[in-house]
Amino acid sequence: MPVRVVETSSALSQPSGGTSGNTLPSVCTLLSVGQAFSGTQNVSSQQKDEAWRVNVRIQGCDLDHGYLCGTMEALNVPMADTPVVTFWEGEIVDTKNYTFFTGKWGATSEDDIKHWTKFPSFSPLLSQVDVDGGKSLDLNNYPYIFMRWKEQYFVNVGTDCGLTIAGFYYVCFSSSDGSINGFYYDPNSSPFQKLELKSTNEGRLGFSFSSYELQ
Amino acid sequence: MPASASSAPPPPTHSRREDLIGRLSSSSSEAKLKALRDLKNQIIGNRTKKLCFLKLGAVPSVTSILSSSSATAAAAAAGSVCSGNDVELNDSLIIQSAAAIGSFACGFDDGVKAVLDAGAFPLLLRLISYPNDKVVGAAARSLKFIYQSKLAPRYDFLQRNNMEFIQSLLNSENENVTGLGASIITHSCWTSMEQKALSDAGIIKKLTCMLGGSVTQKDASLESLATILKGNPEVIAKFTEPENGGALGTVTELTKDKNARTRLLACICLIVIKNSAPSCLQDLRIKTKLILILLELLDDDQVGDEAPFALSSLIAEKEDLQVLAFEANVIDKLVNHLRKAPVLSRRLEGILIALANMCSRLERCRDRLLSLEAMKFVTDALSQDSGEVRAAACVCLKNVSRSVKNLSAGLFMNESFVAPLVQLLFDDLTFVQVSALDAISNIVVDFLAHKTMFMKCGGVKQLVQLSKSMDVTIRVKAVCALRNLTFLVSDKCKEEILSELTQLTLRSLICDPEACVQEQALALVRNLVDGPLDSIQHVFAEDALLLHAVGQQLQSASKAEVLIQGMYVFTNVASGNEVHKEAVMQELFPPLANECESIMSKFLHSDDSRLRTAAVWALVNLTFPSSSGAFGRVMKLRNAGIVSQLKNMVNDPCLDLRVRTALGQSVTSGDGST
Repeated sequence: MPVRVVETSSALSQPSGGTSGNTLPSVCTLLSVGQAFSGTQNVSSQQKDEAWRVNVRIQGCDLDHGYLCGTMEALNVPMADTPVVTFWEGEIVDTKNYTFFTGKWGATSEDDIKHWTKFPSFSPLLSQVDVDGGKSLDLNNYPYIFMRWKEQYFVNVGTDCGLTIAGFYYVCFSSSDGSINGFYYDPNSSPFQKLELKSTNEGRLGFSFSSYELQ
Repeated sequence: MPASASSAPPPPTHSRREDLIGRLSSSSSEAKLKALRDLKNQIIGNRTKKLCFLKLGAVPSVTSILSSSSATAAAAAAGSVCSGNDVELNDSLIIQSAAAIGSFACGFDDGVKAVLDAGAFPLLLRLISYPNDKVVGAAARSLKFIYQSKLAPRYDFLQRNNMEFIQSLLNSENENVTGLGASIITHSCWTSMEQKALSDAGIIKKLTCMLGGSVTQKDASLESLATILKGNPEVIAKFTEPENGGALGTVTELTKDKNARTRLLACICLIVIKNSAPSCLQDLRIKTKLILILLELLDDDQVGDEAPFALSSLIAEKEDLQVLAFEANVIDKLVNHLRKAPVLSRRLEGILIALANMCSRLERCRDRLLSLEAMKFVTDALSQDSGEVRAAACVCLKNVSRSVKNLSAGLFMNESFVAPLVQLLFDDLTFVQVSALDAISNIVVDFLAHKTMFMKCGGVKQLVQLSKSMDVTIRVKAVCALRNLTFLVSDKCKEEILSELTQLTLRSLICDPEACVQEQALALVRNLVDGPLDSIQHVFAEDALLLHAVGQQLQSASKAEVLIQGMYVFTNVASGNEVHKEAVMQELFPPLANECESIMSKFLHSDDSRLRTAAVWALVNLTFPSSSGAFGRVMKLRNAGIVSQLKNMVNDPCLDLRVRTALGQSVTSGDGST
């Protein structure tokens, strides 16, 4: 069953979310509004191996507040007649708005470390994160962007679809190749479901960027 | 037989009024005095009668009495022989004519204009130094009413004599006179230089003393203090220093006054201080208290209309205050007021603006407003008679729809919002059109591919019309709305937008004289050529009219924002096939411009990292490894000096890493091939 996230004082959706769509300095243009990614989520259990095809589209980005949001579309979900689309909101671990410690959604700091360490790019940061959640780290020029993505609601199906969005994703975006890796965390689901996405260019020989501007 | 003269009907109202006007010119002073009293009693608080007598020329007649009586008084003061009774009668004529003039001016701009046109203003001003205190009081009262209108002449505080006059007014024992002094300040103090001059002249101290006076004095003083302090941290610092007798504490105390208007004015004064010098009011309790007092004042008949505007000025653009207000249940309380139908225009406008400010930044506020099912009040207000209310409803909708979360859920793209908003694009009032365009700009971002609903309501047709407006604000906002509508839209919708807009209009918008319009038009084209590969063809229609227009704009524009959008158009086109990439090369490196520095080279040198990034993305696409002509283009870029420039940029820390990596690949592939 979907569980709404408890809003923190800094979890804001800003008007500049859209404005930052390539008109404000961006951490990475490939992580700006309109950008699409596709890949798979491994949902294997002890009983069987299974992977769902997944498409992600970035819809809003507000770097000042460490905020990112978008939709995630799961394509071959066995229980669903149509692709299942969910809306997610992301926290960018920028050490200003958010640290590596989740502090909510049922995740302890041990859970955090267990998941972050699954990303090889996290190992140089581990010792400092152990100390203060990474608060004192400067990640501005780090070639990876760490995030947490929390699905907020089902866009095109009802909550009775038999699926859950109770958990959240630990996400690592590679600024050098635009790929996204993630691990789903939900104490009631199979552990470490891996999300693997690559930037898509919709049949083009290159990259294309759109933008909007909220008033 | 019932037939006698006494049964004749009374004269009609109109002739009775003309008769009264006639009596104002009577040769008998007593008759004039009675006529003045009759006139004053008739017009007091009655706008319709004021207008009637205004049309009958009452104001010049009354001013004439004031003038002649003042002259008589002056002659008596100069030594003419007059009996005590004559002096008393003459003073009464002055008092009554001044009072009648004040009544005409009170809360009625047409009356103020007539009073000023008749020349009553300097006569009243001279009477301030009259020996009879009652005369002075009457003149001061009338002048105060005049100064409450924006039509009143502006007073120049920077002239020394004028400042002395204000000081003398505020030093007076007469309450009407001190009130006049405060009104002049409230009306005429506009600049920081005037604020400082008033502060340096010790006016703040005098106004602070008035805070301990009657209700009228307190209110006049609070209004003036807010005017002098507004937006001026230097003057505020002086006001709050302890030597000023704890003035800040006194104002804070007045927020608890039993008079509602005094409480409101004290709150406004503190808000002015807080907005310009936040350190003066850091105590969280005061901020919360202000919010609670203003909420309570919403229920007051006298000041309930103004309270939401004061609340708005407290919370506008300030997230911390919005959090406090949210925690004080402001949204629920404002919505409860909306439920108490009917809400009159001014109050409705204020409540909608306050709700808009609450929802300007915080998602939780938007969620709360939506959960209270309050949007139906907002949509109802979109078709209210008052233009101000319609505009306020648009502002509220604009701010609520800043939520990507709710846009993504498709909450706003439905007929109840879209149909009235599209209607407002035809509104007679420009400010309503502007507000409607803002709301539409957000709503059409819609991520659920329901954009056709906006088109079905005739929205595109009207946006296109407004994009041709002579008013630059309307034009830029209309183009911005079209740009947002084109964001991630289906091909079919793109076709529809373009067929309405036409290539020629879009071209003229790209070349608009205003840079802000150029920027939005280029961003629109950028969205147009994003998405499926076929979309790129839009800029190649009609002999590549749009592509050439973008190229020309990139050659001639200077504003970074315009150039960035233009470069992203080229980036998107260059992500297409060989023909597309070559066309972009032609625009960037025209064959006849070999001698000049290319625009690409200029952009790579730009101080603006966003422009450098956009330019490099275009190069990444032009040299995309799997494209067959990449090698030839790398050669051309090398000859144009771009490759060597790129080598220097590989470590540009402002470029995002993906670009730097791709750059490295392009440069390396070029190197390896030669």
